[in-house]
Amino acid sequence: MNLIVSDLAPHIALLAQGALLTVEVCVLALAGAVVVGAAIAMMRASGSRLLRGIATVYVDIFRNIPFLVQLFFFYYGLPELGIYVDAFATGVLALSIAGGAFASDVIRSGILAIDPGIVEAAQVYGLSRRTTFLKIVMPIALRLSVRPLGSVLINLILTSSILSTITLNELTGSAKIVASQTFRPFEVYAVLLLAYASLTYLLSIAIARFHRRLNRGVLEAV
Amino acid sequence: MRYADFGPHDIVLLLNGLGVSLTLFLTTSLVGVVLGALLAVVRYYRVLVARELVTFVTEMLKNSPVLVQLFLVFFGIPALFKIDVTPFEAAFFTLALNTAAFVYVIVVSAVESIDREQIEAGRVFGLTRWQVLRHVIAPQAVAFATGPLTALLVNQLQVTSLISVIGVVDLTKVGDILNMRTLKPFIVWTVVGVLYYLAAKIIALAGGFVERRLTAHSAWKGL
Repeated sequence: MNLIVSDLAPHIALLAQGALLTVEVCVLALAGAVVVGAAIAMMRASGSRLLRGIATVYVDIFRNIPFLVQLFFFYYGLPELGIYVDAFATGVLALSIAGGAFASDVIRSGILAIDPGIVEAAQVYGLSRRTTFLKIVMPIALRLSVRPLGSVLINLILTSSILSTITLNELTGSAKIVASQTFRPFEVYAVLLLAYASLTYLLSIAIARFHRRLNRGVLEAV
Repeated sequence: MRYADFGPHDIVLLLNGLGVSLTLFLTTSLVGVVLGALLAVVRYYRVLVARELVTFVTEMLKNSPVLVQLFLVFFGIPALFKIDVTPFEAAFFTLALNTAAFVYVIVVSAVESIDREQIEAGRVFGLTRWQVLRHVIAPQAVAFATGPLTALLVNQLQVTSLISVIGVVDLTKVGDILNMRTLKPFIVWTVVGVLYYLAAKIIALAGGFVERRLTAHSAWKGL
């Protein structure tokens, strides 16, 4: 048994490339997840029973089926429909759809946390329902959801490793290549594990700070 | 000629895969719950160093992708220690430890939800530490932890799908095989998805049932 981490040094560039791809995927997927999540949250908070039902079924399905199965469904299924997109687009799409189910819960509780007085005040001022929702409710709900959305992002980062199974060479995918080139799988994956853990740890600290900053006024009032 | 149609044998294949998935899920959950609870007790007894070590390892396991953990155990450990590890062994080991890490956090917060005074009162009445653990802490902690534990188990069932990547022929791998043979992704992955969905629902139902039984004493009975 001998541990040699220095063998990895020549492959740092490849790993960095993979990490960059992971960041790209996760940022795009986060944006997608927030958009999908906001739409689903709106449907779940709406008065229409049909919309509420559709949103509930959506969340139920995408939370209870393994992401790998969802990913294969899209990766092998989309070409069948005549939609030819690469692994990157498929990965972002699948992550956005699955992440949207989780983000909708977060945004919904942000909407429910809003003081009814604020909405009433907007109505008294004569704002339309649409304006109230888009200009008053959503900004506050999203601001209140920064920290929980951060946990969704961290989950997306961890889940994005699964995209290596559809030939996308993000961080985990490139680590697989390095492991097979150096014949040092233990060192590679141990470093990778540490990298993911410290990255997500630093990110969670940054998100908590950002959350406090954005919600200064709100949190002090409580 | 490629045999591309679905046959009755495919049902057997799917059920086989489901069996492998559920077997691994049930055994690793059992080991993980017991191990996680034991680690939490170590914390309760304040063993030196052990607490910091447990915190570090569980944080690592919670904050890294399960896929990387699987690769580390399946490809890394055999290469480093020159031993043979079958995919099933690697999957079992990784999933059990991963579940234990999450169970540990749930059990710790469940124990912390109990008033300190109850523990002190128990000690004053002359109960031993073990008796306090067994008759005061455990019943309340179990009731408190059932909800989060159910959510965790539903999640861990889905995590088991990742073991297909290191070659365990579980439900997802069977789906992969059928997909490659029949080239009918929509049918195959829908069936596989429905099977996972049903299994997840059964776990959630069972968890809800247990939770209602355990918290029946504090249920709202009206004025």
